Amino acid sequence: MLADGRLPTGGHTQSAGLEPAVRAGLGADGKQPADVGAYARDRLRTVTRTEAAVAVLARHYANAQAITTEADKPSPAGTSGTEPFVMASRFVQLESAWAARTPSRALRTASRRQGRAYLRLAERVWPDVLQHLPRDSEIARPLVIGAIGAVTGLSPEQVARLVAYDDAQTVIAASLKLLPGDPAVAVTWLAALHDDIERLVNDVAPLTDIDKIPAAGAPLIDQFAEQHAIERMRLFHA
Amino acid sequence: MPDTTRPDGTTRSFRLGVAGPVGTGKSSLIATICRELADELRLGVITNDIYTDEDARLLRSAGVLDPERIRAVETGACPHTAIRDDVTPNLIAVEDLERDFAPLDVVLVESGGDNLTATFSPALVDAQIFVLDVAGGGDVARKGGPGIARADLLVVNKTDLAQYVGVDVPQMVADAEAARDGKPVLALSRHDPESVASLKEWVLAMTKIVRGGGHTPVDPGPMAPHSHTDENGVMISHTHAHSH
Ligand SMILES: Nc1nc2c(ncn2[C@@H]2O[C@H](COP(=O)(O)OP(=O)(O)O)[C@@H](O)[C@H]2O)c(=O)[nH]1
Ligand SMILES: [Mg+2]
Repeated sequence: MLADGRLPTGGHTQSAGLEPAVRAGLGADGKQPADVGAYARDRLRTVTRTEAAVAVLARHYANAQAITTEADKPSPAGTSGTEPFVMASRFVQLESAWAARTPSRALRTASRRQGRAYLRLAERVWPDVLQHLPRDSEIARPLVIGAIGAVTGLSPEQVARLVAYDDAQTVIAASLKLLPGDPAVAVTWLAALHDDIERLVNDVAPLTDIDKIPAAGAPLIDQFAEQHAIERMRLFHA
Repeated sequence: MPDTTRPDGTTRSFRLGVAGPVGTGKSSLIATICRELADELRLGVITNDIYTDEDARLLRSAGVLDPERIRAVETGACPHTAIRDDVTPNLIAVEDLERDFAPLDVVLVESGGDNLTATFSPALVDAQIFVLDVAGGGDVARKGGPGIARADLLVVNKTDLAQYVGVDVPQMVADAEAARDGKPVLALSRHDPESVASLKEWVLAMTKIVRGGGHTPVDPGPMAPHSHTDENGVMISHTHAHSH
């Protein structure tokens, strides 16, 4: 369900950086399949690996918190919603670790906007998430995904796969709008990413140490994202 | 269905959607509403642009409202999804605008256009206007569709052009009324002050009703008949613009 693009979390406004990459020339030489697939693969090896690792850690922390504070959980949202909510320091540190590995301000903003959208949905569907994260707040998307993964009983592998698949699928789906082609062909690009997605899952699922979060940057993706944020002609938010 | 108060206690505006096919005059209508009502109501605008922030820019440059109160939301080429199937980005934009300029009386949300089936979810707006124009042809109103049949107000716009496109405005309005079970239809032209005054009256009356809690947002799906047509005699049920 979380991997379904029809989930109402604003997914249709995202291209996972494909729109600015296309504007910068991706697909311009007519080798679209190779380009779009390679772009998604590059992400799986860099930015998406970091996202998935942060989600895995967030799931880990949320599960640990649920065990240690079982006796005195904060009241779930909806009772009044006005009491200040203090996020556990481990989540704050995790957000900082994520931010440190996400140098583009535009990308941090976009991720927090998406995290908020997920959090709003979680408030209605999986309200236990609000025992870990403050309601309707701008928190990096992988933290929210990890917390949802924890309260819905997902394994670390499932959480990592979810982040990886969603990112790849976002690229592929956006390509149909940006470089229109045969949708079935686009699905074959996605299928070809299977091994890369599983490699990512194997690498990040065992993580429990915040210092081990991968930090392989993708400077071009960051640069494109910054450019995109001030661009006039935009189909996608990021 | 939106609550009237938010969990954090801040006030909530009357959210009015403006839908209709591209080019029928949604942005112009919003500019008209702002121009007519900016002194009486605290307004905000959210635009859903298909490919640019053109609408937001157009409205900002029209000088009818503080540019800060006009914000654009990207739709990823899915204007229909943005106002109906996944209203999250729009809802966040509306709530942020309400928070940043609290208290706001009315937030106008312009749809990115799309076709006759694109209507707002009741989770996003309290009421909606559907805009057609005479240039789209006199038949459009008869064809119907969820927006034409069930929007709170149907606008037949650009009546000043009717003589050039061979459309019989009273006939088009009558067709629309037939498709709408008596809900209001307004023949509008920004060059016709009388019709602009009617639009203004409708917005004011609707604002009063919604803010008074007397209105339940509706949208496609079976709906109960509306009973807001003759409130204090201010609500127009049908206004025929005079021909020029
Ligand atoms: N003649 C005439 N043109 C109008 C009227 N309202 C809008 N237009 C024109 O219709 C075109 C499309 O208007 P716009 O508001 O951008 O439409 P939108 O795509 O629905 O937002 C513009 O060129 C407007 O100037 C009107 O009342 N009469
Ligand atoms: Mg417009």
